[in-house]
Amino acid sequence: MVKNTRSIESGVSEAIGFMLIFGMVIVGIGLVTLYGYPLLLQQQVSADEKIMEKNMIVLQNDIKSLAYKTVPFKETSLKIGGGSLTVYNSSSGTPSSTIEINNFAGTESYLPPYIPNTRFIPGELRYESMSSQTDISLQNGAVALRRHDVTGSVMLAEPRWFFDSTTNKMVINLINITSTNIMAKEGIGTVQMSLVGEPYFNETAIPNPNEIEIVYTYDQIQDYSVAWDNYIWNSWNIPQSYKVQRIPDPTNHKIKFRFKNDGSTDMMLVIKIFEVRIKSI
Amino acid sequence: MARLNDDAQWIILMGFLISFSFFFLAIIINQSTVVGQTTAESVIEFPKNDIRDLTGVIEYNTTVSNSTLVNSDITAIAMNRKNAIVRYTVILPQTPQDTHSYALIHYNNGVTEYDENWTSL
Repeated sequence: MVKNTRSIESGVSEAIGFMLIFGMVIVGIGLVTLYGYPLLLQQQVSADEKIMEKNMIVLQNDIKSLAYKTVPFKETSLKIGGGSLTVYNSSSGTPSSTIEINNFAGTESYLPPYIPNTRFIPGELRYESMSSQTDISLQNGAVALRRHDVTGSVMLAEPRWFFDSTTNKMVINLINITSTNIMAKEGIGTVQMSLVGEPYFNETAIPNPNEIEIVYTYDQIQDYSVAWDNYIWNSWNIPQSYKVQRIPDPTNHKIKFRFKNDGSTDMMLVIKIFEVRIKSI
Repeated sequence: MARLNDDAQWIILMGFLISFSFFFLAIIINQSTVVGQTTAESVIEFPKNDIRDLTGVIEYNTTVSNSTLVNSDITAIAMNRKNAIVRYTVILPQTPQDTHSYALIHYNNGVTEYDENWTSL
């Protein structure tokens, strides 16, 4: 090896080197804490929300089994993260929505007890996310999502309302969520639900040019009107010729939908009401 | 002095490749938290037994005398219990040329719409 060249190290300080390296490490940790950690938390929140979206669809499937497949009891364990799941039964406080089904003149209601302006109150199972300000609600057999910071809502899973053009039948399935007391849950819980009594079932003949009117009334704050408006007017498989008019009434928080029988035979309007009791969360 | 032996560098490179592929797989799995209607779900949802029950009853119905009454009963029961719209018309055998009965069955439960031209044995 060459011996006569040697580096001069008189300016090298171990302390300064240490400070430089240590400084870089601290700055690195600082940057990660400042920018990386909130990002990770955000990720966690959106993961919680996504999991709850899926959970609500699972609960909707439970309700479908109770209502349409004559299963007497259903139980699902789920994890409720980043918020709480609450039962708002159909007799509590201010409902987030009500539905009226009337003849067009408004003189007769097709819902029991057939007095004009009878309102059906569905009740709901609602997940309220604390961190992301999002509500996911299972109401009337549908799953709807709403953010607090923006107006508007979206339907994640549709209710089973349908129209059969072969037999000219319109089927409206209404689901009434009840509970014996007010319940809410955070963390891991089991949702138990059962069907109460016999479902209400009524079939009414609507002769050819007659109309029916569906009135959707929404709460000013818990407003899922955009989701339901889109469903009833666009996604529901009613033929175009049956749709007469959509009348929004923002001052009274109502949307009216007018449908008429445009078929050659009497249209049968089938209304079924299922009462689902949430036994525990 | 011993030369640097880099024959095994590929092990490290493979390690990198595998870890990156895991990363992309994780992204893909992350996208699938909420899924729509899958094929498997559609298969489970198909009301096979309800339709079989219905054809069974219709087979019996071809032989009873008051078939219109039975027909309207079946329609009502299907709507009330199974939440399905059912309509069928039975064509009795045109003997002696044809010994088969036929039935046009329409079934709709909001998810599945099913039409069948049923023929007796």
